[in-house]
Amino acid sequence: MDGKQERELHKNAKELINQLSVVLRTSQIHDANNVALVSSISRLVAMINTLVSQENILVLELRGEFFYMNEYRIRYSLEYLLNFDFMVREFKKRELGSVTFKGQIRSDDIKRFIKAFLDASFSQEPFNTIQEEITHVRNIDVGILKKIVEDDSLDVRKMVKKTYFNAVSFTQGVINKIKTGEKVNIKKAKRVVESMVDQILEQEQLLLGMTAIKDYDEYTYHHSVNVSILTIALGQRLGMSRRMLTELGMVSLFHDIGKMDIPNEVLNKPSNFTDDEWNIIRKHPVWGLKAILKLKKFDDLTIKSAIVAFEHHMNFDLTGYPKARKKIHIDLYSRIVSVADQYDAMTSARVYSRTPLSPDKALSIMMERAGTQLDPLIFKFFTNMVGVYPIGTLVMLDTRELGLVCESNQLFPNRPRVMIIVNEAGNRIKGMIVDLTEKNEKDLHIRSIRKTLDPTKYNINLAEYLL
Amino acid sequence: MEINDDLKAVRDIVQAILKSKKIIRMYPANNPIYVKTLEDSYTRFRDYFDYREELVLKIKQNEIIWDSEPVYANAEKEDNLALFFFKDGLREVSFKRGLSSEEVEDFLRIVSMDFEREVVDDDIVTLLWERDFQNIQYIADDAILVDEDNYQERAIQQIEEHSNNPDNILKAYQDAFDEEDTSSDTSIVPLSDTDLQQLMQMLDQESHGKTEKIVDLLFELPYLSESRADFEELTTFFMSAVEFIMQRGDLAIMNGMLLRLDGLISEPHIDEEIKSYFRRVTAYAGNSTIIQLLGELLDSGQEIEDKVVEEYVKHLDKNAIQPLMNILGELESIHARKVVIDALIFLGPKDIMSLAKGLNDQRWFVVRNIIYIFRKIADKRAVEFLLRTVRHPDIRVRKEVIRALGELGGGGVFQTLRECLEDQDVQIRSASLRALGTVASEAAKRIIMDKIADKPFKDIDFDEKKEFFEVLSKWKDKEIFSFLVDILKRKSYFFGSAKNDEIRACSAYALGLLGNKEALSVLTKTKGDSSKLVREFSFTAIKRLEHGR
Repeated sequence: MDGKQERELHKNAKELINQLSVVLRTSQIHDANNVALVSSISRLVAMINTLVSQENILVLELRGEFFYMNEYRIRYSLEYLLNFDFMVREFKKRELGSVTFKGQIRSDDIKRFIKAFLDASFSQEPFNTIQEEITHVRNIDVGILKKIVEDDSLDVRKMVKKTYFNAVSFTQGVINKIKTGEKVNIKKAKRVVESMVDQILEQEQLLLGMTAIKDYDEYTYHHSVNVSILTIALGQRLGMSRRMLTELGMVSLFHDIGKMDIPNEVLNKPSNFTDDEWNIIRKHPVWGLKAILKLKKFDDLTIKSAIVAFEHHMNFDLTGYPKARKKIHIDLYSRIVSVADQYDAMTSARVYSRTPLSPDKALSIMMERAGTQLDPLIFKFFTNMVGVYPIGTLVMLDTRELGLVCESNQLFPNRPRVMIIVNEAGNRIKGMIVDLTEKNEKDLHIRSIRKTLDPTKYNINLAEYLL
Repeated sequence: MEINDDLKAVRDIVQAILKSKKIIRMYPANNPIYVKTLEDSYTRFRDYFDYREELVLKIKQNEIIWDSEPVYANAEKEDNLALFFFKDGLREVSFKRGLSSEEVEDFLRIVSMDFEREVVDDDIVTLLWERDFQNIQYIADDAILVDEDNYQERAIQQIEEHSNNPDNILKAYQDAFDEEDTSSDTSIVPLSDTDLQQLMQMLDQESHGKTEKIVDLLFELPYLSESRADFEELTTFFMSAVEFIMQRGDLAIMNGMLLRLDGLISEPHIDEEIKSYFRRVTAYAGNSTIIQLLGELLDSGQEIEDKVVEEYVKHLDKNAIQPLMNILGELESIHARKVVIDALIFLGPKDIMSLAKGLNDQRWFVVRNIIYIFRKIADKRAVEFLLRTVRHPDIRVRKEVIRALGELGGGGVFQTLRECLEDQDVQIRSASLRALGTVASEAAKRIIMDKIADKPFKDIDFDEKKEFFEVLSKWKDKEIFSFLVDILKRKSYFFGSAKNDEIRACSAYALGLLGNKEALSVLTKTKGDSSKLVREFSFTAIKRLEHGR
């Protein structure tokens, strides 16, 4: 396949997903004979048949968060983002892993598939419903959503941990090097961030889980990496390309670099800061800009990093610090970093703020700041990403079980996956993960969150469970 | 396909990669050798995939292994393909069936990069990662990225030291039953199409460069600086910005920045010491590095409005003169040279001495350009420098300097112009004559009249004689009128009569140019002269006087 063919295939694949999504959405509103639905089905049929005639067979498969067409991974583009997300959700909801078109199809075939697809959403066994209903549709097959094998998941977890700790170690090394005037290797920094981007694209929840572990002695380095991870994940939601995600991850990694110039006796002061000490703290954005500009010659990345270092404490309404004399437009990257920075800082035990907030509490405070301190649109994307109960939230379930949120749920934000740490009998357990979307035979949820708890109040170390 | 055939095919592929690495570095992409090498490489891959699904190459420090067989080995440090991959942490590269020719080309381009010499912030793994090949995959070892081998173990150990006290967890569990229900008060508002549209607008706005923004931030820094060291630092930042902006060719941004700096320099309430830092930046904007970049920009073919360059030049100081002269000889495009000449015409008056140094340049065309610049500047102080150039070995330079001397005038030029009238080269004599005409002074007139009156004058070429009279006719005074009439009336003798008639004919020609109708009577007489030449020129002069042409 040459480059032109590859681009053509990619374009076709994106349009196919989009059109399928349009058809499914329309069919949820209109009946089968509606003109809009009929015309969108015709278009879909034409697209499928063209592709089938070129490729002989057309397999549309969902793996993780991505669709593949005939083994070709379809990259997301912003224009289709909502439709792609919709498709991922709807496929997952029905445990539908793949749809195969084996020959030329007709509008009636698609109509049957749609009906089966819609019926499945009311079924206890949605995939089986679809499979049964399309038994007589000759040219369409479906496959069940493949679950990650436990052993693989262990390997993946290991890789994610390695990526995370490599990043922290690298950040520590960079800061030490800058302090001692050594040259910093930007190539290595990019590699570190690229690994994080890969993990976010493939294992978002696991890497985000690493940011929820706050019980580290070396807050500064972990904070830099956490903000980097959170911004990459957010950037992905904003439809950024891999290259942009790397850039965003890089600028985030260095956003607090100015703090290395804050004297240790101030930075590590256990009690409240005096006004003078606050004045020093407030200088770190300026120092950060300078540190980055001293690091290497001007280029696009240096400039963007310096801008973010300078602006990340400037608020959306231009309050905050440093105070600019000229009215400036705060950069998009700065606004993204600002959200991630606040969230990670609020949920971490810093030297000058010993008591961290629980993730949901932090989110609730940040919600009040949206539109003033924080960019409301960015924050909206952020809340959609982390959910009502972000990873690391300690929750009491209505089953008298105590658990820790270990994976958020895009479709049902208040029904994340939870790791049970105390069972209904009041005994400590480890490793059992439950999905709060699970229902019993009466179609009622088996478990629901009753309340959130503050882990710091009880000195609970989340790392023991999330690592 | 037999295993040995496979092995040979893989070795051939590796050799093709090695060959391409050299060729791509040597030739431009449109060169036939370049094209053929890429085609050959692609053919080798394609042939291999006729029989196999995948090609996996394991990378060792000095070896590349396929199917446990070495397909490449090199113990040297230079030109070692295995080491080239290995040092960036690459441990395996695999190619899949379906590999396109574009993918092969892109892969080979990446492999061909000279990471030691080229200023790139990427290593080979990053470039492979960014290209995101569909049919080329790799495994990289990230251990090379960190300085501390056991960081992960140490960090986890630290965390485990803070391990949970079971009592605390159980206490939390117990208390939870007593506390009020506090499920999260955060509500998630689903994303809408409007959000997406806003996002797209936002991303679109952000797609522009950030140079202007960083410049804005740099201008915030003076107000956040407290010490000399701060201002020293700020000065270096501004200088880096100047260099970056010029590299990018963003002259409009440069002008904005220099204008703001000029504004600060002229602020009465800013301390002189602080202003000196800003002055250093504006001086830097005209130093040799920056002007060299300007030259590259002008020669690049990038469309730049002349007025933007002019605006930039207005901000420069005299230190830019020498660098501008340096690039003048290196520029390839005529337009670029014109832009630099115009810049020097603007800046030259700030330091005539510096500009004069350009007259010593080894390249004749640079010297001629500098003389042209002096002509345009029209500063009489330049005469003393120009006079030294009159004996330049290149005639094109000499002609230009004589012209310049004529335009600049002044007492000092006459001796030189007079001497040049005696030059062996007719072009120099002609240039000198015209220069005297341009001076248009009494002294200049006298030199020409004396020259005509001089005996040897009759022996020079007719065209040259004619030119003398033509120039002389610029002085439309009585003395010249009488001088010409006298010559025209002069009798011819047997010896040398033809030469004298040439002079008389030229005189008739000049009377025509002079435009004084009083000459008609004498011209009418000479219209019937025995010399055909005199007759013809008299006739033409009469017509010119009568009909004004």
